[in-house]
Amino acid sequence: MILAGGKGERLYPLTQDRAKPAVPFGGIYRIIDFTLSNCLNSGIRRVNLLTQYKSLSLNRHIMQGWNIFNAELDEFINLIPAQQRVGEDWYLGTADAIYQNIYVLQIDRPDLILILSGDHVYKMNYTDMIEHHLQKKADLTVGVIEMNKSLSRQLGVLQVDEEFRILGFEEKPEVPKTIPGYPDLILANMGIYVFNTEMLVRRVIEDAKDPNSQHDFGRNIIPAMTGNDRLFAYSFQDENKKTAKYWRDIGTLEAYFEASMDLVSIDPLFNLYDPDWPIRTYYPPTPPAKTVFYEAQPQKRVGCTYNSLISAGCIISGGEVFRSILSPGVRIHSYAEVSDSILMDSVDIGRHARVRRAIIDKGVKIPEGYQIGVNPEEDAAKFTVSASGIVVIPKGTILA
Amino acid sequence: MEKVLCVDDDLSLLRLYEDELTEEGYEVILAKDGKEALAKFEKETPQVVVMDIRMPVMDGIEALTTLLGKDRQVPVILNTAYPQYKENFMTWGAEAYVVKSSDLTELKQKIREVLGKRKK
Repeated sequence: MILAGGKGERLYPLTQDRAKPAVPFGGIYRIIDFTLSNCLNSGIRRVNLLTQYKSLSLNRHIMQGWNIFNAELDEFINLIPAQQRVGEDWYLGTADAIYQNIYVLQIDRPDLILILSGDHVYKMNYTDMIEHHLQKKADLTVGVIEMNKSLSRQLGVLQVDEEFRILGFEEKPEVPKTIPGYPDLILANMGIYVFNTEMLVRRVIEDAKDPNSQHDFGRNIIPAMTGNDRLFAYSFQDENKKTAKYWRDIGTLEAYFEASMDLVSIDPLFNLYDPDWPIRTYYPPTPPAKTVFYEAQPQKRVGCTYNSLISAGCIISGGEVFRSILSPGVRIHSYAEVSDSILMDSVDIGRHARVRRAIIDKGVKIPEGYQIGVNPEEDAAKFTVSASGIVVIPKGTILA
Repeated sequence: MEKVLCVDDDLSLLRLYEDELTEEGYEVILAKDGKEALAKFEKETPQVVVMDIRMPVMDGIEALTTLLGKDRQVPVILNTAYPQYKENFMTWGAEAYVVKSSDLTELKQKIREVLGKRKK
């Protein structure tokens, strides 16, 4: 069960027309692709995707890119919108999303249920976690990642004993409980849960009947189970295989920009090029990327990209691009200069235009000679500018 | 006076519930299927619901789910001749189960229990 209803308020205006899992990332992907690829690479091919908020873009992406499961082999990916089958509320929390879909579980009655969030970027083999769950004869296993304790105010923190049995949970604590033997490290809740189905159903029903509950797995279900049931934490084993474990909640514009710029660095923290861990997405049939013009006279006119991700269908026509991510179909016209920017599908940069430290959403046309990221006051008057000065130009913006 | 809503498609059983539960001091409201039960629930706001499962028009599972959507705290006692429903997690939102019988001792006991818990 993948919870894909995240609003992503702090990613606005990228989430103006789409849910957080549908936000484009890395040129050709959407955030949801990483979780779904994890499922596929883990051999999990029975997937329910629970959506509720601005889901059109997400639905379309799933239909186009993930319609690959074979019903004859009992595989499926179901897109389940909030249906108000149970009452007139939207999902009140993560646990309520499951409660409202108990009837879905009734159909298949699996022994185990894996609950995931569609909001995060990471590589994980869920099968290892499920094996751990069975080995420990757990009722619930929670995926955790070790973090420095200074980050506790942004995280749900689990308290464990030496055997990683869960003793408690605190949401965003000031003074967190650290890992036994590691006074600087905490265990952060990744929002990844393996549940015995019967236990899950009983606990979400109990929770639904509690009028004081916020209906959240971290805040309510884990504390209610602690001390009564067998709860274990499972330390995230990263398939990304770098020194530090990579798991990102790309929840803010700053985090989004930083994670994107990581991808264009020489040795990125997050490796998209591992043939053992392919990441699937919808990729429309597009011609190869192309660069044109190499002229020194009468004026320097060179179509060139440096340190960038260039998707198919782009034409770099006489302009220069530095440290940027270009989604399919981007056009860079002559004498234009783009640096440290994210250009989504079919963005068009006019002649002599300059774009620096900007995120430009799908289809926006930057007129000839236009400047973005050059004059901070002008940008602030017209566009969303993040705390560190990243300019965001939303979909549908018309510039003259 | 506390109100009990009894839902069953067997009219003779409904009469029995009405007689016996009125004698216990409850106000008894009757409904012959899930749909009627939902309408009566809205109108009468009973403190407890006794619900059969196999009924025409709308069965007890659907009625239970819908009722809990309107008021998640309302106690529903499932009253069924089929014990397998205890294993069906669509019905786990119910407060209690009673195997259907013309001897109402157990049902009366459960109603008292459920109402007692509710008062606490």
